Amino acid sequence: MTGEILRVLLLVLQLGFVALLYLILLGFARSLLRDLRSAEQAQLASQAGLGRLAVLESPEDVPPQGRTISLGPINSIGRNVNNTIFVEDDFVSANHAMLTFRGRSWFVEDQGSTNGTYVNGHRIDRPVALSYGDELTIGRVRMRLER
Amino acid sequence: MLLPLALLVPLGFSVSHIAQSGAADPGPLGLAAIYVVMMLAAHFVLVLAGHRGDPLLLPLVATIGGIGLVMLNRLPQGLRGTGLFGLELGMAETQLLWFGIGLAAMLVVAVGLHDDGFLRHYKYTWALGGAALLVLTFLFGVEENGARLWIAAGPVRFQPGEAIKIVLVVFIAGYLAEKRALLTGATMRIGFLKIPPVPYLLPMIAIFVMVMLIVVVMRDLGTALLFLGIFLTMLFVATGRRSYVLLGILLFVAGSSVAYNLFDHVRIRVNNWIDPFADVSDAGYQTVQALYAFGRGGLFGEGLGQGLPTIAGRLPIPALETDFIFAAVAEELGLIGAFAVLALALALVFRGLRVAMLARDDFSAMLAVGLTTSLGLQTLIIVAGNVKLIPLTGITFPFVSYGGSSLLASFVVVGLLLSISHRSSVAGPDEARAP
Repeated sequence: MTGEILRVLLLVLQLGFVALLYLILLGFARSLLRDLRSAEQAQLASQAGLGRLAVLESPEDVPPQGRTISLGPINSIGRNVNNTIFVEDDFVSANHAMLTFRGRSWFVEDQGSTNGTYVNGHRIDRPVALSYGDELTIGRVRMRLER
Repeated sequence: MLLPLALLVPLGFSVSHIAQSGAADPGPLGLAAIYVVMMLAAHFVLVLAGHRGDPLLLPLVATIGGIGLVMLNRLPQGLRGTGLFGLELGMAETQLLWFGIGLAAMLVVAVGLHDDGFLRHYKYTWALGGAALLVLTFLFGVEENGARLWIAAGPVRFQPGEAIKIVLVVFIAGYLAEKRALLTGATMRIGFLKIPPVPYLLPMIAIFVMVMLIVVVMRDLGTALLFLGIFLTMLFVATGRRSYVLLGILLFVAGSSVAYNLFDHVRIRVNNWIDPFADVSDAGYQTVQALYAFGRGGLFGEGLGQGLPTIAGRLPIPALETDFIFAAVAEELGLIGAFAVLALALALVFRGLRVAMLARDDFSAMLAVGLTTSLGLQTLIIVAGNVKLIPLTGITFPFVSYGGSSLLASFVVVGLLLSISHRSSVAGPDEARAP
């Protein structure tokens, strides 16, 4: 009789050992998955592009009208060829404006240009947060921030 | 993740004790307690030192090692052991001692290694040291089961192959990190194969020759396969060229067939693999008994502590505690248990590669890839050998098999991985070097 009980006890304990082993494995699997998912999201945020600029109007066709420019986290705009976004227009200063992605949103800042930087038709005098769909005017060039 | 482990190991100890003694008594749990305390202590040392390395590496290692210790504790203790200062240690006790030494080494490497400069800059010195160890093994090596793996220095015996493994990874990582652009850029064409110019290829050929020498010197196909696998993996990761891997595999096939024709012990291994039942009582005995063990284990296993009846007072499988520990796990815990162990090993490899991906520089990344490959490939080779998927070669199952050299080397590997991941998670290179 005690032998029977012992055998059952042993079986329960043996099963418990394997079950515990799998429980630990499950724990590891969960933290691996969590890690993968967060890595995926971080990658999505960094790779899917922060945004693009659609060129709506460009009289000199530099940048070409109708083209979309994909943006890095920091973009300088101006008539100097060393700018990341090179704009050929007589009304654009050499170093005209900065378009930067900080934290979670876009900001545009005038770099002391002669003719100013306009957001949705309003001239800006300090760094301004941009939303997707906002229109940016630099000289005679009109561009729209898109996702 | 370490807390469930505090239950798992003592449970494993008492289950096997109950099964073997037939009494409802948990049996001595001292060793299990020491193991758990050691792992927790190592964890707290890392936490207190402000270590920001991969948090899952140590728990994974502790779980895999815990299963190994449960198995080793359950086997007859007279199988192995050491006499130390008049203190007789059984097999599990000796293994536990090595766990302690290994953990200490891991902590020293993980916390103490602030800068990998001395690894990176002196790579040729390291390679020379590895070659010297190889020569020492050739001159003074002790032969065992047809393989010359051991160097005996007085009462201490160690396997230089384990140290050579780490040194080789350090050297290849240093070399590839430095010459990566040259190896991927400039090319020479020979037929349809694009290869880099010969001068840059020479150290690579030297490594290959070294691997082949291992077959000759140590007479150990497993270590050679392991080294070649590490080398090809690192080369592929560094260059992204399939042609190298293809070339390496072709050379390996050629080398293997030469070894098959030249060496008796290689031929015996291969013939055993093709048909172990041809010589069941002698040459094929080990493999056949292992296959029986897997068969007895089945899906759910015989139950912890209830497998492995001894035949005429001996264990059915020779080298059960080292090469065939996986067969023991599979017999007692069944396919599900063996699967869990493999899944844990896979998770360890996954984390290791993650460390490589997040590494700060090329050298660290290559080092992490090589070290991770060494752990993963070693597991793969010995498990595949156990289940007769490839010819059996005597190497250890990292953290599971009995053996001091292997355990120490594996812990140093984990220490290096921890150190790399710590340095990559601490902000910038300059801050990391600050005193």
